[in-house]
Amino acid sequence: MSQAALGEAIGVTRQTIIAIEQGRYSPSLESAFRISRVFGVGLEDVFGWVGD
Amino acid sequence: MSFHEKSAWVMGLIMIAGMAFYFRTVAAMSEGMEQLAPPVLPLVIVYIVVIVILSILGHILIAITRPSEADDMMDERDKLVAARAGNIAGLILGVGLISALGVYLFTYDGNQLFHAAFGALMVSQIAEYAARIIYYRAGV
Repeated sequence: MSQAALGEAIGVTRQTIIAIEQGRYSPSLESAFRISRVFGVGLEDVFGWVGD
Repeated sequence: MSFHEKSAWVMGLIMIAGMAFYFRTVAAMSEGMEQLAPPVLPLVIVYIVVIVILSILGHILIAITRPSEADDMMDERDKLVAARAGNIAGLILGVGLISALGVYLFTYDGNQLFHAAFGALMVSQIAEYAARIIYYRAGV
């Protein structure tokens, strides 16, 4: 799936998807769930967080 | 680069050029008068009209380079960038205006007050576009 297609699927621009992939932007919870749903996996399968 | 980031670049450059034009004109007028020139309505009107025209032309050029993104609505990242940059601009405008007012209390120079306030508005707008670009590049 292309970045543009993923962006269109969840309602953000291709540049926002790029920023998410590069760690320059943390999506909203809603967008995070939408991304997970597109790939058919759970939230923590797509996103991770390294604590302090 | 998204449409909105390109827009920030265009507007930032236009605002810098506009500010340079305005204050260069005021400086030239002041040199001729040997004192700070008063604000002149035709100059302000020309400044505004030119800014508007250049903005329209600039956005048309951006839209032509990538028509598919020209009507992109602001997504959540764009809105966050705009909100944070707007906050910075507001702070700078506030500091600039209060400074201008403070100086007026000592100089009672109305011409200086106008130019300082107008300048604060320009600087705050330039800062807003600069902040948008930084947030787009470095992350928000």
